[in-house]
Amino acid sequence: MAVSNIIFYLLSALIIGCGIMSVTSRQIFRSAIYLLFCMMGVAGLYFWMQYEFIAAVQIVVYVGGIVVLIIFSIFLTHRVGSDLAEPEYKRTLFAGLASLFAFLLFWSVIKRNEFFGEQSSGELSVRRIGEEMLNYKQGGFVLPFEVVSILLLAAMIGCIVIAMRAQTEKN
Amino acid sequence: MISLEHISQSIHETLSASLNATLVLLIEMAIAGVLVISLFAVLGLVLVFMERKVSAYMQIRLGPNRVGYKGFAQTAADTLKLLIKEGLTPDGADKFLFNLAPLLVIIVAMLIMAPIAFTKGFQLWDINIGVLYVSAVSSVGVIGILMAGWASNNKYSLLGAMRSGAQIVSYELSAGLSVLTIVILVGSLSINDIIASQQNGWWIFKGHIPVLISFVIFVIAVTAETNRAPFDLAEAESELTAGFHTEYSGMRFALFFLAEYVNIFIVCAIGATLFFGGWMPFHIGSWEAFNHVMDFIPGIVWFFAKVFALIFLIMWFRWTFPRLRIDQLLNLEWKYLLPIAMFNLLLTTVMAITGFYIK
Amino acid sequence: MFIVDYIKTVYNSVTSLLKGMRMTGYYFFNHKEIITQQYPDVKQELPERFRGEVVMLHDEKNEHRCTGCTACELACPNATIKIVTKQELQPDGKKKKALDTFVYHLELCTMCNLCIVACPTDAIKMAQTFEHSVFDRNQLTKKLNAPGSKLMEGVE
Repeated sequence: MAVSNIIFYLLSALIIGCGIMSVTSRQIFRSAIYLLFCMMGVAGLYFWMQYEFIAAVQIVVYVGGIVVLIIFSIFLTHRVGSDLAEPEYKRTLFAGLASLFAFLLFWSVIKRNEFFGEQSSGELSVRRIGEEMLNYKQGGFVLPFEVVSILLLAAMIGCIVIAMRAQTEKN
Repeated sequence: MISLEHISQSIHETLSASLNATLVLLIEMAIAGVLVISLFAVLGLVLVFMERKVSAYMQIRLGPNRVGYKGFAQTAADTLKLLIKEGLTPDGADKFLFNLAPLLVIIVAMLIMAPIAFTKGFQLWDINIGVLYVSAVSSVGVIGILMAGWASNNKYSLLGAMRSGAQIVSYELSAGLSVLTIVILVGSLSINDIIASQQNGWWIFKGHIPVLISFVIFVIAVTAETNRAPFDLAEAESELTAGFHTEYSGMRFALFFLAEYVNIFIVCAIGATLFFGGWMPFHIGSWEAFNHVMDFIPGIVWFFAKVFALIFLIMWFRWTFPRLRIDQLLNLEWKYLLPIAMFNLLLTTVMAITGFYIK
Repeated sequence: MFIVDYIKTVYNSVTSLLKGMRMTGYYFFNHKEIITQQYPDVKQELPERFRGEVVMLHDEKNEHRCTGCTACELACPNATIKIVTKQELQPDGKKKKALDTFVYHLELCTMCNLCIVACPTDAIKMAQTFEHSVFDRNQLTKKLNAPGSKLMEGVE
């Protein structure tokens, strides 16, 4: 149990540390890399909880997808080695207040509800996740699944439309 | 017969008898770490030598033949040279990220090694989503390359890294789809289940046309993902002066170089596991006598034979085909591989539902 | 038809790639004809017209054919050759210009062969040696006429 706790605290420290570094770093690329380690830490937490599927999906979507996308946009817009300007005093203040507010909100929610640390979640196999995704009975996830699919489809069509218009203008 | 499974089990038992569980876990992790690192070192030496010999033979040359017996010590000598070279960090580079990038690349390669089954019961981590884990973790490797390109403070490195990133991100799709065909046929993501399902024949024979197509797509996609010729435009020596590792020298360059070859080994191991049954000997349906004869060859030999055959295939590509242009590269992925892979996935699904494959 | 064209493209590219792989595969498995020259062990027969460096011919009596006319020095495009002459007393009492030192700067030579063409007495020619590397650049400045050598009889 002791080792398990130590791993949990190490991972949490990694997540929080990298999160803070990501926000405070003056070099935008380093921020992205700290964000990457933050995401990896979250994936590590899922592995620690033995939700391997969720962990792998976390890595695929956030690390392999979103962080790479962010890094690409940094590559296309920024110059190497140039630091960001110091933020205004007022902005720092309001950002700090906003994060304090969010922290208090979460803290109050966590305080108000009881969580069972030792609760075993049972086997969460990929098969069960897949079946739940297509379950249209009580408590099934087919509707949210389809809604998300349609949202993504709309986003993809939007992308294609934007790209197509640029092409026709050029011709 | 002594098998690796028995050895690993007996080590576990002797350790468990005298120590508590935490310590046993730590010691076993240390042993596994040492084994993985030594495997990496041996792989680096063997694969670089193999590449040089294969390329030489294909170009009617002799290849390295001076250092050691028939040149076998050539890569060891090269490694020694790289070890004692000065590791330069360019002025204006982001030093922290510059040093981190090769480590990240090699650590990712080590992580992918975890679920690969070398022989029956000889596997670091029997995770039940093995295939998904491999494709997830391998997508982290690209960040090491992007990091190296950015941190070098060099426009060639940056260009190479961007090309490499675009290439890896797009070819991951078709690699993933071709892996999915086998997952559909097996009905499980676990590496062990996939190997066990090939008890009576490998999928490349059992699944006939769709699996063959997906195998071809897989090989093309992983060649692109490991940044090898003909898809090596990310590190094109003649155009980008080696791309993202232009500024690297000494040991850090050696790590990139090692990671490239280890990645080749890993993708070939995955290919061998999915399409050629991993450590499973060559079995034909219900020919009991034939299967028994094949069982005499240990699984680890089968595994490494298959992996090295695939590595040879990828080296064959490298020394035959000319390099692609970036537009040709993206055309190949988005206009050919991806539609074919999707259609093939549909075909496989139909095949799996109707049971139109050799069981 | 779009689909037919598409399949045709795929088929053609795959067959052409396979053709290339057959070629390299053939070479891999038929490893007989090798173009590698294992240089220090097996020295290669150089072509007859290979130009390695300028040498002066001497016969067994240590006589050369150079009259010191400096035609080669004049012909040389980048001052590789420097000829030092001396006045030699003939048996009949007359003084005659003769070769003292034929200085040849190998480090400047481009092996253009113009000096050989210019030589009226065929005293110099191109040798086939090519292992010229030395540790000191000064060693590349050579004296081509052997010590104590004389002009061959009858060469004017």
